[in-house]
Amino acid sequence: MDKIKVTAHLLAPVVTGGGYMTLDGLLAALLFDDLQDVDAAHAAIPIRQTDGLHHASAAIMEASRERISFIAALRPGHSIDPDLIQKNKHGQLHRKFDTSLTNVLNSYALLTAPTVTWYAEGDADHIERLISPVQFIGKRRASGFGRVARWQVEPDDLDGIEGPFGEPLRPVPVGMFKGDTSHPIVDAAWRPAYWNPIHRTACYAPV
Amino acid sequence: MLQFFNDNFGRYLVEQSGDPVADARRALSSGHRMKKPGIPQRIASGWAVVRPGTSTMQFQLAAEGIAYSTQTRYEAFLAELDNWDRTPRMFIEFAKRPVPVDNLFRTFDLRQVRICSPTGVETFDFTKPPEKDGCKTHKVLWKLKTGGK
Repeated sequence: MDKIKVTAHLLAPVVTGGGYMTLDGLLAALLFDDLQDVDAAHAAIPIRQTDGLHHASAAIMEASRERISFIAALRPGHSIDPDLIQKNKHGQLHRKFDTSLTNVLNSYALLTAPTVTWYAEGDADHIERLISPVQFIGKRRASGFGRVARWQVEPDDLDGIEGPFGEPLRPVPVGMFKGDTSHPIVDAAWRPAYWNPIHRTACYAPV
Repeated sequence: MLQFFNDNFGRYLVEQSGDPVADARRALSSGHRMKKPGIPQRIASGWAVVRPGTSTMQFQLAAEGIAYSTQTRYEAFLAELDNWDRTPRMFIEFAKRPVPVDNLFRTFDLRQVRICSPTGVETFDFTKPPEKDGCKTHKVLWKLKTGGK
């Protein structure tokens, strides 16, 4: 296992819905695209683990931060003839049965920075093979956000868990963290799948 | 995290099935008997402070094991933060739309207070005044705390 620093050189700001965007999470998503099996994807992440904790940092960006909103036009997915449905007291269709387009405003954070950096301990060659074809990261990739110009993988000293001053580089459960415990404790997912609230526990995490 | 929600709040509202996600989802989105007579209703307004032991909420349900309060959400949240005892809390704002389970987070530290609502999660440092572009709850609570300064 090699200690490495992974850098994505960006061409466009990154859109995020929150979360820490850890390198193991990114690799799990790439592996899932290929394997189409969540458990198999998680088992194949080429990152060192200690008691289930991946040695891979959260995304580190020195970014300017603003909010951005997108309108999604949604069409309720049903095929019932609206004439067959009882109307509301105003004689109109209940909103959830209305087949017209519904516009939903979704708000995200927009991070503008020249690079995104991760620290990790793992199989450098395998990690590089997985990430090198990736051209976009974050949300709204199809709209051109999070475009990556190039990836760089280089040796480093950090293990992806603790920074040089003992600060957490990723969410680490309180009982597993050996660094500077003056940092605030937060509820965070500490292992993939990061979207699953079952994986949330009291952690030291980057602020 | 969901165990905390279910153990201290959800179990008084719905029978526990052993699936913490499903149990929490049912507690937040299904109808519950009200204190006043009438049909069961979903928690569609008010707030809850989930804490180890007895949790408190505003919406007047018939469920026992939960304390009920007539304070506003900001009064209740501020009282909790002002009397912080370093044990975890879950601050929840209810609205017409159910709070998604994904939006539930505990607060462990005044430097990372999290307010959970149907539309998302507000996170702020309550040891410092709000930034100009800070979140609404931080601004309101800080104004209440400092007497409107």
